[in-house]
Amino acid sequence: MSVLRGREVGAPMRAQVDAVIIGSGASGAVIARELARDGRSVLTLEEGGYYTPEEYGVLAPSQSLRRLAREAGLAVAVGLGDTPLISTLAGRAVGGSSLLTGGIIFRIPEEILHGWSTTLGLHDLTPDALDPFFTEIEEAVHAELVPEAMRSRSTELFVEGATKLGIPMKSVRRNTSGCRGASRCTFGCPNRAKMSVDISFWPDAWKHGAEVWADALVERVDVASGRAVGVRGRFLDQETGEPRVPFEVSAKMVIVACGALHSPLLLLRSGLAGPNLGRHMTLHPSFRVCALFDERVDGWDGAMQSAYSDAMMDQGITFVSAYNPPSVLAAAFPGVGKAHRRLIERVSQLAVFGGMIHDDGGGQVRRWISREPLILYRMTARDRARFFLGMQTLGKMAFAAGAKEVLLPIFGADTFKSEAELDFLTSNPPSAKRIESLSFHPLGSAKMSVSEDGGVVKPSGETWQVDNLFVVDGSVLPTSIGVNSQLAIMTMALKISRGLLRDWSRYARRAA
Amino acid sequence: MIRAIAEALFTDDVPLDDAMLEAFVTNIDGFMSPASKTLRAGLMLMLEALRWLPIIVMGKPATFDDLPIAARTEMLERMDRSRFSPFPLIVVAFKTMLTIPYYEDDERLRAIGYPGEARKRYLTVKT
Repeated sequence: MSVLRGREVGAPMRAQVDAVIIGSGASGAVIARELARDGRSVLTLEEGGYYTPEEYGVLAPSQSLRRLAREAGLAVAVGLGDTPLISTLAGRAVGGSSLLTGGIIFRIPEEILHGWSTTLGLHDLTPDALDPFFTEIEEAVHAELVPEAMRSRSTELFVEGATKLGIPMKSVRRNTSGCRGASRCTFGCPNRAKMSVDISFWPDAWKHGAEVWADALVERVDVASGRAVGVRGRFLDQETGEPRVPFEVSAKMVIVACGALHSPLLLLRSGLAGPNLGRHMTLHPSFRVCALFDERVDGWDGAMQSAYSDAMMDQGITFVSAYNPPSVLAAAFPGVGKAHRRLIERVSQLAVFGGMIHDDGGGQVRRWISREPLILYRMTARDRARFFLGMQTLGKMAFAAGAKEVLLPIFGADTFKSEAELDFLTSNPPSAKRIESLSFHPLGSAKMSVSEDGGVVKPSGETWQVDNLFVVDGSVLPTSIGVNSQLAIMTMALKISRGLLRDWSRYARRAA
Repeated sequence: MIRAIAEALFTDDVPLDDAMLEAFVTNIDGFMSPASKTLRAGLMLMLEALRWLPIIVMGKPATFDDLPIAARTEMLERMDRSRFSPFPLIVVAFKTMLTIPYYEDDERLRAIGYPGEARKRYLTVKT
């Protein structure tokens, strides 16, 4: 059996494997498949449950959040200073956040890689060196350009507005095959069309003998004589979700792939320390701007995400189309009571577009009284200015496309009825604490560096402090990348896994 | 308290029936149960704050659930527009958890124009 549902386990369990991986998302799946294909015994421990595409494909958005997302989709980064509270979405299921992404595939921009390989000294992370890894992942997840015919009217309107303003828009690539435009990628694809890792990577890993224990909360990495030797934790209870039946796994390699929110926590619980662990986290703070048109838009007809603009990338802003199921949009409409419901009745006339900030690393994850992290984030003045400029630009696009009203993500704000009314966003912006912001890409909380004082892991992915302990997820990215991070995370995991296999005998000798 | 908030958010000319109010409570429980203890505690704290806030927000010596429905709606509106950032956060948190499931009902979706299974894009691809 490839997936064990830990909730059904009644007695303590032990296992001994070559490699134990904590986390089954975009990075964990890649390295599990690589190691299994190479003949290594691999066990992956996933805190979340296991749902097949047929099971999660029929979940309503609220059910999807409760079952597939951390904190039922209610996790937040607490803003320090003049910073918004940022809703932070992360997956917690076999397949991790890949179940909940819009599927967008971007390579890490070359100028970012140039900075990594020169300024930061990470010489193996040049565009040329990473090109074969990018290509391999892109083929494995079926990265394809979203045809213009799949654009929703919602996206078309913003593209029309952008064109009038001289802002070029391009089609995005996504990891899809046979997309039918259900426009609910972020709640689990109902048509098996999104190539999340449960579809693109895990079947191959399982075929080569990899196993997954779901509902398995890893509580610490066991370290002996400066070397990782295994992990221990408890299966979550079927009724309460609380940790119950214990398990222990001995392994030659311990690979942490819990994502940027949880990997630092596990390392801290396991005795690692240092000024970089859990710090410098970037979030790509995002915002969405909605617009009401006189015409019927039916934005739910089409690909959820299909176009983007990097025209303002030099100012740290990327625009990406986005839509959500009507029930989710209804929750985002301003107002209370009848005023709120009157706007919801116009949801078929609504167009939506999003933007994100290429931010400085102002985030931290800390341990506290819960097994979930305390996420803190301080937005810099530069990023705040970018945030408001991005919102204003999207608002202008909407009016240029003929929108009658623009809805900004500002608590308590009425709709805006003219472009001039948006001037305040750059001339006299409100407190950022009144902004509704989202994050889908926490990165960099255990960053890679060429020296121990500069980060948490070596360029090989192995931690500086403990031998045979690797981190392979988005937490190793040394800076924000300014674009959707799924391909970046999978590519880094592939690169690290190839290095691990190349030097396997050296690492294994330590474990002997 | 959940019933009182739901009534403030969703009561039209016709009052919400008991089954629907109970469904709101179940939905909130569905969000809170899988959340961590700290998040649950935070949400409970918000609820408790909301219960006693009429004294500050409305100047009325009553708990939120004792207010008439229209006054509750007015209070949530005031909090939503408040410059004191915790106030709108409380409103948004419960509005989100109550609104998403409320508009997952097929009938309500059709009422706001969402065609459900009769969606054009699906049919285009099928044929």
